[in-house]
Amino acid sequence: MPVDNGGMSIENHDALLIVLIDRIARQDDAAFKALYDQCATKLYGLALRVVTHRELAEDVLQEAFMTIWRNAADYRASLSPPMAWLGLIVRSRGLDLLRRRAAERTHLTDELDDTLADTLDANSPTPLDTAQASEQAWALHQCLGQLENKQREVVSLAYVRDLSHSELAQQLRLPLGTVKTWIRRGLDQLRMCMARFA
Amino acid sequence: MNLMQNPELLDRLASSYALGTLRGGARRRFEAMAREQAPVRAAALIWQSRLASLNELQPQAQPSNAVWTRIDNLVQGEKTSAAQHAVREQAQSEAHQSAKPLAGMAAWLRNLTVWRTASAAGALATVVAITVGSGMRQELGTEIARLQTQLQAAPQIQYVAVLADDKSAASMLVTFDAKAQKLTLQRVGSYHEASDRSLQLWALPPAGGPKSLGVLGADKLLRLTANESAVREVPTLAISLEPKGGVPSETGPTGPVLFKGALIQKML
Repeated sequence: MPVDNGGMSIENHDALLIVLIDRIARQDDAAFKALYDQCATKLYGLALRVVTHRELAEDVLQEAFMTIWRNAADYRASLSPPMAWLGLIVRSRGLDLLRRRAAERTHLTDELDDTLADTLDANSPTPLDTAQASEQAWALHQCLGQLENKQREVVSLAYVRDLSHSELAQQLRLPLGTVKTWIRRGLDQLRMCMARFA
Repeated sequence: MNLMQNPELLDRLASSYALGTLRGGARRRFEAMAREQAPVRAAALIWQSRLASLNELQPQAQPSNAVWTRIDNLVQGEKTSAAQHAVREQAQSEAHQSAKPLAGMAAWLRNLTVWRTASAAGALATVVAITVGSGMRQELGTEIARLQTQLQAAPQIQYVAVLADDKSAASMLVTFDAKAQKLTLQRVGSYHEASDRSLQLWALPPAGGPKSLGVLGADKLLRLTANESAVREVPTLAISLEPKGGVPSETGPTGPVLFKGALIQKML
């Protein structure tokens, strides 16, 4: 279902991004700049959510765009909506950076705790820029809207930062049983809801 | 366990697998089943793709402008080195074709890293001259002369500097081609001097005062002529804001230094 926002439907926006990625595969730097202008705030928001520090997130964004520049030719084979492909690249570069820093034994975990505690206090529903989201993201957004805020946050953090139940419990200072229950109920509700969009 | 007889369990495992919370032995067993049974694999892929949309549902944020400047510099650097590589590849393949009796030798030479530098053309000439009979020598000599010209036409960037302001935002990309004695300056930031002012480029040698390398015009890309002796062993370049037309070198900079950066010698 196309969601209209200022005349740019999902299909149109996806088509624009696909054209840009194809041109980037031919080393067209004007298309590269246009893609950056279209997606940087969204992808930077994701990078920030994964690594939680502005400067680290900027490094992640830079690495992700260099990956996009070098690997744009692989996009079509992924059969993904363009924003999904771009998002996976950013998340994966962000997780790489977290692993490197964990290996360097930094105090990242302590810092993460504080930021995460703030995150869970936020009561706002998951944002969605309808002009840029893929149709699948729109469906997931509808289903996530049916979860309680805290369940939604825990599911979202588990995925974005690739955390286990016990890592989530530790970082969110919640009992392990609570985290497991929230994740299980959250996923059960998502499964029933997403089945309707399949 | 046959998951196919229990679609709800399959769906539950596949969603936990894709979320990342299925861990340890349970995860390895699920992966093993997915490799063997296509429907299990399909369920995992469906959930991976559904949950990947979580990446799109995060709050947006504005990165600083310096991020694009850094990305753009890296991309332009890659494009430049790719172009130089292509020129060298072409030169090599033509050398290869013109020296068919020496195909083995040519392949061997192609693998030598020294071949990547201009001086390798001279080395090739020596090796070839002692290897071939006199009948071929003249023909090959012409070919080698042509190759040397071609290699000389390809810029061999030997010095690079990124000049940044006090906030570390890159504002000027400087490259020095020692062979052609050309300094190339590319403005990458958004800085524009007032119409009654000029930017002046200085070399800051380890000993002695700053030496003027030239005055910049308003173009985005500009070229100055400089001797390698003026650039060699200079650790830092700087750009100062001066009255229109610049100041004499012996005066030294009179205005504020806006951008500076280390000069790096680049091995090809």
